[in-house]
Amino acid sequence: MTQPATRCRWSMLLILTLGAFFPGIGKGASNPTDYLSGVKPLLRERCFSCHGALKQEGGLRLDTVALMIQGGDSGATIVPGDARESYLLARLAANDLDERMPPEHEGEPFTAKQLAMVRTWIDSGAPAPEGEEPEADPEDHWSFQPVVRPDVPLGEVAWRRNPIDAFLSHRHQELGLVPQPEAPRLLQVRRLYLDLVGLPPSAEEIERVVNDRSAMWYEHLVDRLLEDPRHGERWARHWMDVWRYSDWWGYRDILRNSQKHLWHWRDWIVESLNRDLPYDEMIRQMLAADELYPEDADKLRATGFLARNFYIFNRNIWLEQTVEHVSKGFLGLTMNCVKCHDHKYDPFEQADFYRMRAFFEPYHVRLDMVPGEADYERDGVPRVFDAQLEMPTYLFVRGQETRPDTSTPIEPGVPDILAFDELEIEPVALPTRAWKTELRPWTAAAHVTLAERDLAAAERSLRNLVNKQKKDSHKPDAKIERATWKVKEAEARLASVRLRAAASKAARPGVDAMAMIATRAEAVRGERALELVKRQAAVAAKQLSLDQAKGDERNAKAKKELASATKALRDAEETASKPVLLEETFTPLEGAKWATTRFLHTGRDDPPITFPAHSSGRRTALARWITDRRHPLTARVAANQLWMRHMGEPLVADVFDFGRKGSQPTHPKLLDWLASELMEHGWSMRHLHRLIVTSAAYRMSSSLAGAESNLAADPDNHYWWRRTPGRLESQVIRDSVLALAGTLDPTMGGPSVPPKSQENSKRRSLYFFHSDDKRNLFLTSFDEALPAECYRREQSIVPQQALALSNSKLVLDAVGQIATRLSEQTTDEDGFLRQAFVVILGFEPTEREIAASREVLRTWRRLPDTSEERARANLVWALINHNDFVTIR
Amino acid sequence: MEERTMNHDATYGSTRRTFLSRAGMGFASLALGAMLHRDGYGSDGHWSPPTGEPHFPAKAKSVIWLFMNGGVSHMESFDPKPMLTKYGGKTIAETPFAETQNPEKLALARAAVPDANGQQRNKLFPLQVGFRRHGASGIEVSDWFPNLAKQVDKLAVVRSMWTTDSNHAAQREFHQGRNRIDGYFPTLGAWVHYGLGSLNDNLPQYISVGTRPIWNKKDGLYLGPANDAVPLRIDPDNPLDYSRPQGTFSRKEQSIGKDYIDKLNALRGERYPDDDAMAARIKSYELAFRMQTSVPDVVDFTQESEETKTLYGIDRKECEDFGTKLLAARRFVEQGVRFIQVQHGGGGAGAWDAHSGLKKNHAKNALAVDRPIAGLLADLAQRGLLDETLVVFASEFGRTPGSQGSDGRDHHVYGFSVWMAGGGIKGGVVHGKTDEIGFHAVEDRHYVTDIHATILKQLGLDSRKLEIPGRKRLVIDHGQPIDAIIA
Repeated sequence: MTQPATRCRWSMLLILTLGAFFPGIGKGASNPTDYLSGVKPLLRERCFSCHGALKQEGGLRLDTVALMIQGGDSGATIVPGDARESYLLARLAANDLDERMPPEHEGEPFTAKQLAMVRTWIDSGAPAPEGEEPEADPEDHWSFQPVVRPDVPLGEVAWRRNPIDAFLSHRHQELGLVPQPEAPRLLQVRRLYLDLVGLPPSAEEIERVVNDRSAMWYEHLVDRLLEDPRHGERWARHWMDVWRYSDWWGYRDILRNSQKHLWHWRDWIVESLNRDLPYDEMIRQMLAADELYPEDADKLRATGFLARNFYIFNRNIWLEQTVEHVSKGFLGLTMNCVKCHDHKYDPFEQADFYRMRAFFEPYHVRLDMVPGEADYERDGVPRVFDAQLEMPTYLFVRGQETRPDTSTPIEPGVPDILAFDELEIEPVALPTRAWKTELRPWTAAAHVTLAERDLAAAERSLRNLVNKQKKDSHKPDAKIERATWKVKEAEARLASVRLRAAASKAARPGVDAMAMIATRAEAVRGERALELVKRQAAVAAKQLSLDQAKGDERNAKAKKELASATKALRDAEETASKPVLLEETFTPLEGAKWATTRFLHTGRDDPPITFPAHSSGRRTALARWITDRRHPLTARVAANQLWMRHMGEPLVADVFDFGRKGSQPTHPKLLDWLASELMEHGWSMRHLHRLIVTSAAYRMSSSLAGAESNLAADPDNHYWWRRTPGRLESQVIRDSVLALAGTLDPTMGGPSVPPKSQENSKRRSLYFFHSDDKRNLFLTSFDEALPAECYRREQSIVPQQALALSNSKLVLDAVGQIATRLSEQTTDEDGFLRQAFVVILGFEPTEREIAASREVLRTWRRLPDTSEERARANLVWALINHNDFVTIR
Repeated sequence: MEERTMNHDATYGSTRRTFLSRAGMGFASLALGAMLHRDGYGSDGHWSPPTGEPHFPAKAKSVIWLFMNGGVSHMESFDPKPMLTKYGGKTIAETPFAETQNPEKLALARAAVPDANGQQRNKLFPLQVGFRRHGASGIEVSDWFPNLAKQVDKLAVVRSMWTTDSNHAAQREFHQGRNRIDGYFPTLGAWVHYGLGSLNDNLPQYISVGTRPIWNKKDGLYLGPANDAVPLRIDPDNPLDYSRPQGTFSRKEQSIGKDYIDKLNALRGERYPDDDAMAARIKSYELAFRMQTSVPDVVDFTQESEETKTLYGIDRKECEDFGTKLLAARRFVEQGVRFIQVQHGGGGAGAWDAHSGLKKNHAKNALAVDRPIAGLLADLAQRGLLDETLVVFASEFGRTPGSQGSDGRDHHVYGFSVWMAGGGIKGGVVHGKTDEIGFHAVEDRHYVTDIHATILKQLGLDSRKLEIPGRKRLVIDHGQPIDAIIA
């Protein structure tokens, strides 16, 4: 590699020499810096993906000057010192679209200014920096290498509490960094509470820990908090960000996106975390519980992860989002980039996107009935199932759904570089009750209950109308007539449902055949009777419309409708009069409802999808691949997320892009060690939580005091010589205010709190309805998660936050309650003040802070219309607005 | 009026380095700078946040963005099509314009999301209003806009717009430049705010007034929440979310408390020196406390003359609401706010969404906005502000030449109109055209981002220079300035 460098120096020399004789040439001359800051970034952005380490179209690489000179199939691309003879420039500047580089749709063409820069650089002899290295081979990229458990370095013993510290110490020593001392105990307690359960400790809890004389006080507290059910709630919200929890949205009551009752999945997350369900098992259940545990209603809730992507209008958007976020969330891969073209940075081809999509091609969403509730508007578990087993997957030319390449159906598969084993896809035969939902024991009973409820409601509205009518009761009342028909219809429906329930029961093995046939015939008759009542009601309704119709046009229309309703009634009467045939059967009382799609664009719902007896097994295969111990990405991505959420900053900055475009880990060995620990301890997240929070690194102070030399060496704390302070997430802020006021409602689980009820609700914030168009104002002020994508929360500081904390009802209602609680524990002023700082902010006030507080209380007390209580409430208000209230110090 | 200095203070640099180098950087760009820095960008010298200075000399300082929610009929506002009346009741196939429905021409760049609405309607629907020529330019304006017609020589009407989303998410598309299928992207106002910051310390810098019926309220997205529009109400008593205590808490008590908080934060700073976040939070509280009084002041019109209020139609019930919003917009422009987004008409997907009863619907909506908009243009001109204030009138799409039901029009993406005025835009010109029934934009076609590009150019911004690492934008995102209408 020395030759090109020599040539380059020679070129430079030539330029300098020529410049001396021909001053004009020196003007606009270029140097290696111009190349690095101007030319190379352009080439990297627009050319390297096809002419670099990833691909070598035409045998050409452009990632070093030497390689450019060396050229490809068409010879050298540049002639240093002679832009006119340089093939590169000719192709970049070509007017003919077939000639021009980058090709159409592959990258933006170079502007005249950019071409001039390249020209100047070549004319200046194409100077390059010394020892320019080509791009690394994509196969060698760090995150594609297997996770190998690294040896723990021998760290400095005094500081080190566990191996995490050893990895950090190693770098500290290399860089001459001295870790900050341990934070005060009170602060450590506050940190642990906020981090592990998402709420501040109460006065009593603080008291208990402060008085714990045991050397293991910290570890005891960690154990206690990890066992606390509130831990599941706290960490569920983290994973709800990553896994894109979103309640449904739609137009009026019509569902368009996500699913109603998606909270079942949220509750599954909370419960699973509280049981420390292994991370790999969580992934398997979320992707494929319907294949792995087809009869386990609790586990089926996990597939809400996929049900959430339901989108009524467009299957492609639905599946694109599925592929994108399965890839980003579990694997740290930006597969979405290859929907339209081969990946520009990673070794994935366009077809890889569609191979990935093929895993999901058959799946659809349905609501499974829960015992006791057959009304799907009220409840039902959103879950997935394979519905279209034969549906082919096609590559879309340039990603456009109007241009499928139907010549070659694409089979499910994974990118070559991550294929460590044969993918085995085994179709799954489902147990009968999984797809014949009418056989589930609770189904018939739930239908009967619903029919009874509907009848009662119909009777109630009729009664109300009749009661109202008494005042002027002469006229026949159309409303009453309609309501009367509603009652008749509800009666007939209840009768029919009861008969069908009995017939289903009689159809089970062990019942004698004659009884079965008899009940079946009864059920058929019941349905006929129901149909008859419906038709009669329709005729009556049309007759009423005709009576009320004004104008010729409307009159004619009403007549026509009455005629057709009457004909339908005659048909129903005829059917009802026929004997029931032996083979005739009734509409089963199903225990699930398919989530309606409208992909066919007919303006109405697509034909319903039946529940097949088999599942493709594709998603199971995908889940097994993702959770295979040999997968290089899964555990690393999870460990990085866990680390970031405890420590405030990740080890790999781009949490959803572990590809070549993303950033390198600051501590690759630590990351691999954490990933190994996760896998080797049965994918227990709790194990990682415990490891991280019991490290010395976690327990350090975040202060910069006395850290001048550290600051000089590592101003951004990349190497963890202090804790980085962070802001509380939106939910933790709101929950903390309520917890301090003693008003937090500890109820766990259940339907999301609707927007209307949120203002007065005291539930934890994770239970609030949360969707693209319905988010809580207070929470939104503090960087609430965007439901569409949130792999990491922002931590902005904007004036709206100050206004929310100063003026919201939430805070102003709470401050008096908090002051009262604090005053109950101690009556004297200094005691109150000390307790207020300790409980609200997590630190002991200094003398000067106490003095300032005494003074402000005096000032408030001197105002007219005030009281001691009010002054104290004001003081609490101030502490809630103190920087440290929203800060994890 | 406050001295017009760049304000770049009250935000958060999450690292010491960014915080220390904050002087001269934008409020919003700083927040983003910190974010990106945190993500490992910016250290290789390829990227730096905007300085708040234009990239080249600007012709406009502020933008008033008037958005008619629901979709205005272009044929019945600024692009008259007498052929509709001539062939009214005929199907398009029966007219000489059958070619407009050539499936190739109907194929959208992106797949549409159809439901009951957003369909093509085949039976031509006659014009529901008359047209007249106005002003020296003689541009035709419908009789529903008699006052605006008098200002027509200030307008550059672009009659050749197109978009791709046949449903109301086209509102989002118009602001972010991408079809909803592609996801969420920062809106135009967010880019402007990100690029230029503010000219006033005491006010929110990017303001949204009126309802945004169906699209996400986040504007900044990957540029950070500091670039979200601040939603405002024109109500001095309650202009801003949380702008006054939702409980008993006097201004005096609060101000005593504020001084105390400052003191406590300073004392805490002794143990935690050089804490960027704390410094930023202190600034954010100062700004918030100032906003509590300065925002109500701007929306308090007691200092405005009756004549001015009349000009905006505030004395008339039918246009009081929108007139109030536009007078506030002018006052915000005077105070140095960069981007004021004023939406007209809530309800469903937007007031202008005339699937039925178009005549009644548009007559009423036009009555509500016509006088206020005309008043705004006249007022800006008489105060010498129109030269540096760009006013834009737009809606998410036009409406179908054919009828929906008996008397409505459906959504129409293939051709519609937008106009601009002031801020270095030519007055009294028409640019581009649609075919004879207003179906397709056929000359000088412009996608919505061309409007963005035009505005950014007038503000002195180069959208490519604003681009940030890891968020590659496409050519279509940047658009092309409509040079033909730039003075």
